[in-house]
Amino acid sequence: MLFYSYFKSLVGKHVVVELKNDLAIAGTLHSVDQYLNIKLTNVSVVDPERYPHITSVRNCFIRGSVVRYVQLPPSGVDIEVLQDATRREARQ
Amino acid sequence: MSGAQVGDASASAGAGSAGDVDATVKEPLDLIRLSLDERVFVKLRGERELRGKLHAYDQHLNMVLGDVEESVTTVETDEETFEEIIKTKKREIPFLFVRGDGVVLVAPPLRST
Amino acid sequence: MSAAAAPNSAQQSKSTPSDFLRTIRGRPVTVRLTTGVDYRGVLVQIDGYMNVALEGCEEWNGTQLKAKYGDAFLRGNNVLYISATSGAK
Repeated sequence: MLFYSYFKSLVGKHVVVELKNDLAIAGTLHSVDQYLNIKLTNVSVVDPERYPHITSVRNCFIRGSVVRYVQLPPSGVDIEVLQDATRREARQ
Repeated sequence: MSGAQVGDASASAGAGSAGDVDATVKEPLDLIRLSLDERVFVKLRGERELRGKLHAYDQHLNMVLGDVEESVTTVETDEETFEEIIKTKKREIPFLFVRGDGVVLVAPPLRST
Repeated sequence: MSAAAAPNSAQQSKSTPSDFLRTIRGRPVTVRLTTGVDYRGVLVQIDGYMNVALEGCEEWNGTQLKAKYGDAFLRGNNVLYISATSGAK
């Protein structure tokens, strides 16, 4: 639940989602669910040379399980809060 | 408080406990708990390695790392000479969420205990 | 609580895999991952997912020592087997 809550707090921010097939999609985080499925708006492809087919997509839904990384906006990371939440969750 | 914890403390998984800020390792994930706010080394599937400061993690090994250096190692075989060419690509990412299912190994910084 | 293991006389044939895991805590082990890579070290802890914490961990690819880590956490889903190693490497 920790990262679900965390991603909810990032809604509206710009992120880059990197998939396990190496495709990297940049966009505005529109919404997230408990599986960390992600909806992006204002989508652009980070490397359009390699992945031209998706350049016409404006919005997309990304299944959580195909995500490798999400590059986060530095402004959206409150380190203190994250660490405290992690310690609390580690105690479960 | 301090007595026997390492040995046979609990039968199977999880061993939920109430003690909070203790430095003992009752379950494997405690090793990672002790590395919070420290730089860690993470080995991922697909010959990827990360080094970064551990800000958050959960039981799946999802993580948020800061000041990350990623290195990806690829082996290419020269089509004519069949020589193996090993390349390492590095990049830096300020803040990164890493999905746990790709994680193979997490090594805390060297500690003196 | 622990009805298990009358000291050491417990017959091997009656011990379960989890008995085995309990007996090798604190002992040197080799953990082989599905990738074929071996990790050798002292087993600090293990849980029901086969997540493993090793101390003084060495990464071996076949007969080649690849890396050393003070401590290492291995994610259980990658574990193929865990074997108790006797003293020396």
